[in-house]
Amino acid sequence: MDMYNGGPEVSIRALKKDSMKFVLSNTDLSVANALRRIMIAEVPTMAIDMVEIETNSTVLTDEFIAHRLGMIPLSSFDVDRIQYTRDCTCTLYCPNCSVELTLHVKVNVDYDDMNDPTIDKTRQVTSLDLVTSDESVKPVSDDRAHPILIVKMRPGQELKLKCVAKKGVAKEHAKWSPVYGVSFEYDPYNKLRHSHYWIEEDEKLEWGVSANAVEEAPIDPNEPFDYNAKPDRYYMEVETSGCMKPEDVALRAMTIMQDKLGGLQIKLDDEFKEDTQRWGY
Amino acid sequence: MNAPDRFELFVLPDGVKKLTITPDTKIPNAATFKVEKEDHTLANMLRMQLLEDPKVLFAGYKMPHPLDHYFILKVQTTPDTTPAHVLGNALTELIQNVGSMKNKFEMELIRAKSEAQKIDNGEGEDLSSHQVDMDF
Ligand SMILES: [Zn+2]
Repeated sequence: MDMYNGGPEVSIRALKKDSMKFVLSNTDLSVANALRRIMIAEVPTMAIDMVEIETNSTVLTDEFIAHRLGMIPLSSFDVDRIQYTRDCTCTLYCPNCSVELTLHVKVNVDYDDMNDPTIDKTRQVTSLDLVTSDESVKPVSDDRAHPILIVKMRPGQELKLKCVAKKGVAKEHAKWSPVYGVSFEYDPYNKLRHSHYWIEEDEKLEWGVSANAVEEAPIDPNEPFDYNAKPDRYYMEVETSGCMKPEDVALRAMTIMQDKLGGLQIKLDDEFKEDTQRWGY
Repeated sequence: MNAPDRFELFVLPDGVKKLTITPDTKIPNAATFKVEKEDHTLANMLRMQLLEDPKVLFAGYKMPHPLDHYFILKVQTTPDTTPAHVLGNALTELIQNVGSMKNKFEMELIRAKSEAQKIDNGEGEDLSSHQVDMDF
């Protein structure tokens, strides 16, 4: 019945702190694509969703800063512990469904330095200035030398605010996506002819094969085109924002896929029970 | 101001059924399934799995409108079964496949991590066939 007998195979090719490569094989293109789509849009993470600004005398407007804060990736490995606010018993937010982060930066005026053009008086406000109330949810930055810039301030300016980070998925807003890039390639030699290359003179000269081509046999020019052939090897690449490990993003995506399918199966069974006559059961 | 809430994409409102089955009045052994708050991710997977079944004569889906967050799946089968029954089989098969994909992935993860450990410990292992680079 199934052309992909024996079920899917997985082979991990590279595993780094915030990226991974693996080969998914013996499964349909739709499964590989579902995995990609779920990793991008349906794996929950934490992101700043509400900002209460008390003082802002910087050059950026309140909403500009609020937007920038929302885009900062927050460590989300412990996101399962936190509830969605819409499922929570509270009205606005509470410790069960949110994490508070505060920021207060005031650049003092030093009159001795004020008129010395050789001294850089710009204060860079970065993700390192955010103080979290929960150590498991904090801005992602392994590299303290390169934190995420929020706004630049000059002496005399002040920024004071409170952020509320919430759990969410990227279907609602892209800031909740755990990944910066997910891609997959199949059929590097284009044996299935799913790709049509734009060429000037010679396809082989103008379009080199990808690095994944070493895993597959090249085209035999004497072999006729197999119009029944289907793809069955997918070279997947995942790069995360740093909010969780790439392998966890993939595993969570697979769990979500299981829940989606399982949930529908339960609903289908309920339909049977409601109307057994119609289907002759 | 009057923008629809983004969560309408995936939150099933109270009183709305996730799945509705409508038998076709004109075609024998055919039905239309309406699945609320799901998109191409699930629909395309179901369609492809249904088409693997020799008892399925037709399987196709569409998302009627980008602002409506549901898809419809039309299925026609041979007379010895029903659309709901083949959909049940397709779901069972997919659940099994995803489950085994997850198990394989977890096993591969253990292998990849233990190999990275060996590299750290400087143990002479031939990694040419399974090269894993790690930087934890
Ligand atoms: Zn709450």
